[in-house]
Amino acid sequence: MAAIIETSGLTRSYGDICALKPLDLCVPEGEWLTVMGHSGSGKSTLLNLLGGLDRPSGGSIHVRGTDLATLSEDGLARFRRDCVGIIFQQHHLIPYLTALENVMMSQYFHSVPDEAEARHALERVGLGHRLKNRPGELSGGEQQRVCIARAIINSPRLLLGDEPTGNLDHKSTTMVMELLRELRDEERFSIVMVTHNQEVAAWGDRTIHMDDGCLVREERTKSC
Amino acid sequence: MTKRRWLAHIVFRALVHRRGRTLLLLAVLTLASSLATALGLVSVSMRARVAEETKRYGANLVIMPESARVEVGSGGLRFGAIGEPAYLAQDQVLAALARSGVKGDYSFHLKGVLTLKGVEIPCEGVDFAQVRRLSPWWQVDGDWPRPGEVLGGSDLTQRYHVHSGDLFDFTFGKETVRARVSGVVTSGGDEDDSLFVNLPELQQQMGRPGQVSEVRLLADPGNGPLKEQAACLQRFLPGASVKELRQVGRTSEELLGKVQLLMLLVTAVVLVCAGSSVAGTMSTTVLERSKEIGLMKAMGGSRWDLLKIFSAEALLLGVGAGVGGFLLGGLIAKFVARSVFAADAALRPEFLSVAVGVSLLLALAGSVGPLLSVFRLDPVQSLRGE
Repeated sequence: MAAIIETSGLTRSYGDICALKPLDLCVPEGEWLTVMGHSGSGKSTLLNLLGGLDRPSGGSIHVRGTDLATLSEDGLARFRRDCVGIIFQQHHLIPYLTALENVMMSQYFHSVPDEAEARHALERVGLGHRLKNRPGELSGGEQQRVCIARAIINSPRLLLGDEPTGNLDHKSTTMVMELLRELRDEERFSIVMVTHNQEVAAWGDRTIHMDDGCLVREERTKSC
Repeated sequence: MTKRRWLAHIVFRALVHRRGRTLLLLAVLTLASSLATALGLVSVSMRARVAEETKRYGANLVIMPESARVEVGSGGLRFGAIGEPAYLAQDQVLAALARSGVKGDYSFHLKGVLTLKGVEIPCEGVDFAQVRRLSPWWQVDGDWPRPGEVLGGSDLTQRYHVHSGDLFDFTFGKETVRARVSGVVTSGGDEDDSLFVNLPELQQQMGRPGQVSEVRLLADPGNGPLKEQAACLQRFLPGASVKELRQVGRTSEELLGKVQLLMLLVTAVVLVCAGSSVAGTMSTTVLERSKEIGLMKAMGGSRWDLLKIFSAEALLLGVGAGVGGFLLGGLIAKFVARSVFAADAALRPEFLSVAVGVSLLLALAGSVGPLLSVFRLDPVQSLRGE
């Protein structure tokens, strides 16, 4: 299967601190890769580089054949809106917009806001009854599902999750993971997810373990 | 939903969400634009008022033909200058007025001499309708003359025992004309010692049809400084001399200019202060919204997209405050004009663009710094809240 992500000797340093040591990684199309590690192990740094939110200090990083290191600021913005959906641990929803409008905001940057499509995306994540609610009126799990709807609304080929269940209880975590699996099976996008949680990691196809900026271990996981 | 409608929608929601800060910005911008509008309206009102006041003093420019002057004297003695009487063609003056663009009311005067009761007395041919408009301070005891009638100056009529309604024989050269004195004029000036005759009649008697010896002009002070208007008219009248008639007009103009300069400086200071305040508030807003900006960048928002959103907010605030400033400025101008100048300052529609322009300029100028920081904001750091 063709690779959606290919990195070679990828590094990221902040001054004297090397957050990511030379990393060679290949993620095939449609794979769900989980990245595990302690705080400061370089997993979020890797995720930011894969999402075009940060620039590498060295090496190469190709996502769907595009070398992200060579893209301009506006090129990276185009890459983020066309190819990537990001789910954050803190949800990062815009507080003055409703659930529906938060999803439409992502459409605005991508193409044109389409209320029907946004409503459909929220119905897919089980929030058809919460369209007009603002983030402050939603539970943590519901906010995360809005975040997922926002991330998938533009049909990205790569979904990045930065500890998306980090702030959720067990029930909500399971609900979110089931939802992600269902969507992945339907849309066939790839997922790269950072987590501390072994149970969450078990939902993926493969797990890599990082420590001190290095990939230290890699394992195939059994599906839940 | 179109992108433009969506942009307007989210901008409006963002402003409503931060209503405290929005109101503060609106208040600052409204006050600044209202001050600019008010001072502008007061300035226009003052100019109109000064123009109105100057009108009461009559003509402010005089056009006289250049005459050949010869200095008379011997050795160290100087007896003054003598000159041949010279005349201007009425058509030439009217053409010069039209071509120069100098607008205003005017009166033609032809000076001559006639004989009354065997004595030569000065007389002046005028168009009585023009004189009546241009010299509102003339007090006429009796009636203004109709064709075949004359108006006598108060000193002259007293000296020769002439009264309103009397019929006299006036001699122009060899020709004698019988005319009735319709009234006696008192002006407090040289006019009191002269006899006023209908202009065409005097022109005919003197054999100078269509010619005058002086033109008095009440140029509209609203069209610019009198000195400039005089110079402009002079260019089209090479055989004449155009001079300012009254110092009072120039003094009023100078005073008006100084007051306007003062108002302009006060406005400039207020605008600079308001601009700083807007810049400070906008900077705080951007700082508060750094996570939101980071999120928008993470979602794929380009720098141009974010610039549009934040500029649209400034634009909306600017327009809103501009309209508010226009209305408030109108009220302030009315109050100031009424209480200080005892005049009315009408709300002029053209000042709406001034108010909106000032407000927009301040809002956008105050947003330049914060917008640049939006450009530079790193999405990863801002999402982390750093």
